[in-house]
Amino acid sequence: MLRLHTAIQENNNSKIDDNQMKNIKNIFKILMLGGLGFLGNSSYAQNQAPGGPQGKAIALTGATIHVGNGQVISNGTIVFDKGKITAVGDASTNFDKTNTEIINVSGKHVYPGLISPANQLGMVEISAVRATDDQTEVGAINPHVRSLIAYNTDSELIPTVRGNGILLTQATPLGDIITGMSSVMQLDGWNWEDAVLKKDDGVHLNWVGYFKRELNVETFTFIQKKNDKRDEQLREIDKTFNDAIAYAQIKNPFPVNVKMEAMKGLFDGSKNLYIGADYAKEILEAVQFAKSKGVKKIVIIGGEESLSVADFLKENSIPIIVNTTHRLPNRPDDDTDLPYKLPQLLSQKGVLVGLGYIGLNWRTRNLPFLAGTVAGYGMSKEDALKLITSNTAKILGIDEVVGTLEKGKHATLVVSEGDLLDMRTAKVEQAFIQGKKVDLDDKQKRLYRKYAEKYGK
Amino acid sequence: MRKLFRTICLLWLSAVALHAQTLTFPRNGVQDERPNLYAFTNATIIQDAGTTIEGATLLIKGSVIEAVGKNIAIPAGTTIIDLKGKRIYPSFVEPYSSYGSPETKKEARAFRGDPQFESKKPGAYNWNQAILPENDAAALFTGNSAQAEELRKLGFGAVVSHIQDGIVRGTSSLIALIDGRDQEALLKSKVSAHYSFSKGSSTQDYPNSLMGSVALLRQTYYDADWYKKAKKNTEFNISLDAFNQNQGIPQVFEANDKLNILRAEKIAKEFGVQYIYKGFGDEYQRIDDIKASGAALIIPLNFPSAYDVEDPFDASVVTLAEMKHWELAPANASYLAKANIPFAFTSSNLKNKSDFLTNLRKAVEYGLDEKAALAALTSVPAQLLKVEDKVGSLKPGLLANFLITSDNIFKDGSIVYENWVKGKKYVLADLAVADLRGNYDLILGSKSGLKLNISGKAEKPEYQIIVTDSIKVTPKVSRSGNLLTFIFKTDPKKDKGDTRISALYDKNTIKGSGENGEGTYTSFLASLKDAYKETPAKADTAKKAVPELGKITFPFGTYGSEEKPKTETILIKNATVWTNEKGGILQNTDVLLQNGKIAQVGKNLSSTGAKVIDGTGKHLTNGIFDEHSHIALVSVNEGTQSVSAEVRMEDVVNPEDVNIYRQLAGGVTSSQLLHGSANCIGGQSAIIKLKWGETAEAMKIKNMDGFIKFALGENVKQANWGDRARIRFPQTRMGVEQVMMDAFLRAKEYEKSWNDYNKAANKASLTPPRRDLELDALVEILNKKRFITCHSYVQSEINMLMKVADSLGFKINTFTHILEGYKVADKMKAHGASGSTFSDWWAYKMEVKEAIPFNAALMSKVGINTSINSDDAEMARRLNQEAAKTVLYGGISEEEAWKMVTLNPAKMMHLDSRMGSIKAGKEADVVLWNNNPLSVYAKPEKSIIDGAIYFDIEKDLVLREKIASERNRLIQKMLSAKAGGAATVKPEGKKAKLMHCDTMEEGSVIVGADAETTHSDSGK
Repeated sequence: MLRLHTAIQENNNSKIDDNQMKNIKNIFKILMLGGLGFLGNSSYAQNQAPGGPQGKAIALTGATIHVGNGQVISNGTIVFDKGKITAVGDASTNFDKTNTEIINVSGKHVYPGLISPANQLGMVEISAVRATDDQTEVGAINPHVRSLIAYNTDSELIPTVRGNGILLTQATPLGDIITGMSSVMQLDGWNWEDAVLKKDDGVHLNWVGYFKRELNVETFTFIQKKNDKRDEQLREIDKTFNDAIAYAQIKNPFPVNVKMEAMKGLFDGSKNLYIGADYAKEILEAVQFAKSKGVKKIVIIGGEESLSVADFLKENSIPIIVNTTHRLPNRPDDDTDLPYKLPQLLSQKGVLVGLGYIGLNWRTRNLPFLAGTVAGYGMSKEDALKLITSNTAKILGIDEVVGTLEKGKHATLVVSEGDLLDMRTAKVEQAFIQGKKVDLDDKQKRLYRKYAEKYGK
Repeated sequence: MRKLFRTICLLWLSAVALHAQTLTFPRNGVQDERPNLYAFTNATIIQDAGTTIEGATLLIKGSVIEAVGKNIAIPAGTTIIDLKGKRIYPSFVEPYSSYGSPETKKEARAFRGDPQFESKKPGAYNWNQAILPENDAAALFTGNSAQAEELRKLGFGAVVSHIQDGIVRGTSSLIALIDGRDQEALLKSKVSAHYSFSKGSSTQDYPNSLMGSVALLRQTYYDADWYKKAKKNTEFNISLDAFNQNQGIPQVFEANDKLNILRAEKIAKEFGVQYIYKGFGDEYQRIDDIKASGAALIIPLNFPSAYDVEDPFDASVVTLAEMKHWELAPANASYLAKANIPFAFTSSNLKNKSDFLTNLRKAVEYGLDEKAALAALTSVPAQLLKVEDKVGSLKPGLLANFLITSDNIFKDGSIVYENWVKGKKYVLADLAVADLRGNYDLILGSKSGLKLNISGKAEKPEYQIIVTDSIKVTPKVSRSGNLLTFIFKTDPKKDKGDTRISALYDKNTIKGSGENGEGTYTSFLASLKDAYKETPAKADTAKKAVPELGKITFPFGTYGSEEKPKTETILIKNATVWTNEKGGILQNTDVLLQNGKIAQVGKNLSSTGAKVIDGTGKHLTNGIFDEHSHIALVSVNEGTQSVSAEVRMEDVVNPEDVNIYRQLAGGVTSSQLLHGSANCIGGQSAIIKLKWGETAEAMKIKNMDGFIKFALGENVKQANWGDRARIRFPQTRMGVEQVMMDAFLRAKEYEKSWNDYNKAANKASLTPPRRDLELDALVEILNKKRFITCHSYVQSEINMLMKVADSLGFKINTFTHILEGYKVADKMKAHGASGSTFSDWWAYKMEVKEAIPFNAALMSKVGINTSINSDDAEMARRLNQEAAKTVLYGGISEEEAWKMVTLNPAKMMHLDSRMGSIKAGKEADVVLWNNNPLSVYAKPEKSIIDGAIYFDIEKDLVLREKIASERNRLIQKMLSAKAGGAATVKPEGKKAKLMHCDTMEEGSVIVGADAETTHSDSGK
């Protein structure tokens, strides 16, 4: 769930909150004085330039094409021009061979660009250095804040993630209750305007939990306690939604309320409502609440304990973005592999499931391996691929243009040496975003070359 | 008014008694000596748990027992109390109390407040505020009549009380639970000496971890010994003086947890002391290990309440272990008794003291022998604490502390009438109250022929008035002694008002008067016609059956088994074997495991009686060795001082952490459990095999070199600890070098002083140097008996530490994390250090901004022994995937990649002669995978340690079913308990802490280090 991912938010409801906030503020005051020079010096090498517009049509031939909808084409051909896929098929696929740059990728694999939902890549550079952190705005109700403004296309982290085949990310603000609006960004671009694929695609709401976690400083254990403020916080959410509904009915509002403006799209279906909830009861409550307010498109984010309400999610057509499978079970008595098999179990129940590194940034480069682990624990590889491509595209409302390798969609795709979901073979060799060739170099590779050269290795 | 009068009388009476006994006090008024001789006759006297005398007499004089038995001559001037049908028990002895002690409160300290390095206790006491052997409960004793009364109500006559504060807690006193002068209540001082692992009210930073507490206690034993031997005291230390003086008396250790008993037992063995352990009530879960300690226990009689599990979602947060403990806790004493472990009961942990007798009876119901129960309340505590010459049984010369009861005290409904303490009577229920029961003829006003029937229990009679055959009324009766008030209607259908009668019972008549419903005077006379006949009780013969209980598993609770895995002869046939030897990866190969070792590797092997496992299509490898782990630990960082080499992680291993099982399911078989990185020199590693179900001691890898954690960089200079952490040296990498240098220079000098002393001819006249556990560990490093694993990130500090080591003549064994190792790989190679790193972590803090996933590959290519570690409970169960990333990032061969989580860490731990490859003679720690172990699709099917199968994917399914069915059984049991009126608690759940390098116990958490979630960006 979104609310859990920094020390600051972790303790929002706990007793140590105030002290900790103060301390954190103070640390960063010092860093401002002492640390900035250091930061400045480190920029010895800028990120490489974004790819230029596609000049000539390109055909990739001889590849195993993983369409992203479950279909696999062996010895396939994929052709794209002006940023869009013009043909996909087997070796017999017809295309204009004279005006097309033909790249033979036989033996290689082609995948749709992977999509990372509910993520903070580009919004924070170094987690412990506050000056580099633009993930969390102050205040509990912030539907109006927009993640794409914080999305730093020059982040040195982005190329390292892109290098493993992730070409789209849903930049998502963190925070207390209503955290703001996410946008779907492409992992290449000169600036956020250039990089954005879908602007302000939805509003993020952290459902208020039954339990709050309190740190016992004697034993350093987190004790789950009943959240005493829960009713009050729920009333605040309720009022905010009622006010937003009322506001949406005013033709020319005066004065204009930017928060209420931001929420309008929830009621006409132009924006998703992403609700962070893990605990089964909270999921039931949150969905019922959103439906009662006339929210058209609801997505559950997190859903670590969603299995027991899978039928409910299915009946209400609520999709879910499951938090990283590379986590421990929540309870000692749980099956040891429960997180690994959760996406499959939910899918079997008929729920539309996406997979995400919720609340994280650099680790997102392991997104394909999350799906790989799901496949290792029982799901078919192509179904596991859907968890990070077509399913996510459907959930985010971008399936018209991305998520599968089909004619008419964006040429946002990856060529890898082997199976992209398995780190043994996942070496990404080429990537295109809307037909633009992506430079796959990054800071880490440059450092590697520098020192490999030093040692002659 | 009357009450006040009674109070005055009591005060006067007790003053009289005091005059008689407390001779030093001046007398106000005349001498008032009285005979103070009492004989309790015709009683069933339970002299001690093993001796019951029917129809006996107890004779007491003043505060002491004169005689017990039959045919006792009763001297003139004795008050005789006939106790026919009643029982006399020795009053109980409370062995673990803080009665009459001053309250100790910890001074509130702000989270991340200013550090406090020294003791705040003024005076010539120990340097550490938690070492308080000088605390003498007798010196600080003040009676508390309210508390005394509460304890007397439970049946206690005397308590052993100490000040429950600190790690070394000083001495206790034996105190009689009387009201009156403290001089009279106090029976004996320095009864026992007390210890714990909790620093209590100490505000001093050190120690802030369990292993720190262990180290401090051990150091205190050494300090006291040195102090005793010192010819010329360098300091006058009241605490060490007291510590030495306290050694001759019983030593009591508050363990409060079965695992802490085993931890303290190691200290007991080291210093040749025998502790009596104050337990928690969970000892039944490790009964054999507790038994092996040979120690006696003091156990509480508090049992957990059932959880309210009506809501299935809420119920899901209650763990199987919690449910099982709820069911089995009342049987704890019974298990101890059956194992012949001596134990005494204490009421000390009871929230609701009135549950004491109820819980005692419950323990008996759950199979505890009544005699053992009584002994645990009387003679055992008295003997354990060596006060059996004063209390705990009814023998001449002992204190007149006894209980008068209506019946067998373990029987439900049995009443304790009186608790006599030091010959003073305290009434709990009126013994003298007349038994009114029987059938009476009743004349009410002018109406005769009515009947009054009184039945029920003598102490709680039930009344019925039969007006006519068809009209039977139950009057409301209140009673005070022999005065009775009746309220009733003679005809409930017709009467408008109540008849109210006040009457007096006297010799078989109840006579009185009052007003009827109309307000008219009415007389009342009931005359006994038939005396009450008791229907013979069957309770004694038809004892309640011991409830059916779940089985104890190892470990207790989730994924536990009733039988621990055993070493077997196992033949794995036709597998792809990753040998990590010259032969490389062998196809269609058999491996035979025998006696915990790899016996043979080859083709077409056979062995009679071996368990044969078909390895066709599967891969057999060594078990994964995680070089950097913090699972299965109670604490991770001492971290209050820059050097804490004295602490040992093996003191805080938690063998019941479910992450052990989860990691077995990920192919891990061995782990180095490291101290954290909060300070420059951390603590000594625990190196274990993940033998799920065994004790911490059994998990430990024996006969190997010692290891210790060092750390550099942001964590040790407290870069992210908050604004107030600006005091501890060092605050920069410059200071870190000096801490390292200074520590080893001190260690060299320390070693020299011992060498000089050991060589001296005139040793007898010399004071030996003070044994210093911190410097001992550093001397071991200098002498190549202990080896360093150093948390490190940036090249400058890595280089620095190697130079420090070179200048002092030792080596850094392993740099762990070592994310910039690739920048100084040539220097590391020259120094001979290993590198243990993450596959791809970076960007979570400033010092990892130049970390690269190619680090392992580069270090390895330069020739450094390189491994991939986890530092994370979650990642550890996928270390095979992490190793595979070295193939992706840097193009390491699969065979070499696999060594990075098996052979290479074994080399780092100096265990490669025993472990790390599949070769005849090596230890049988192997894993059978369903796929190439480096594949993301691989999962272990069997994890074998020393030839015993600790994880089996098929048995795992059985365990899951067992967990589900056992949970369901217990949930149903809790539901019926709730339906039966049992108190329940709402499930709230407690999330286990997950440790990373910089998890601090108290006061400090590194910014961004979310110690709880494993997917935190930072925290490494």
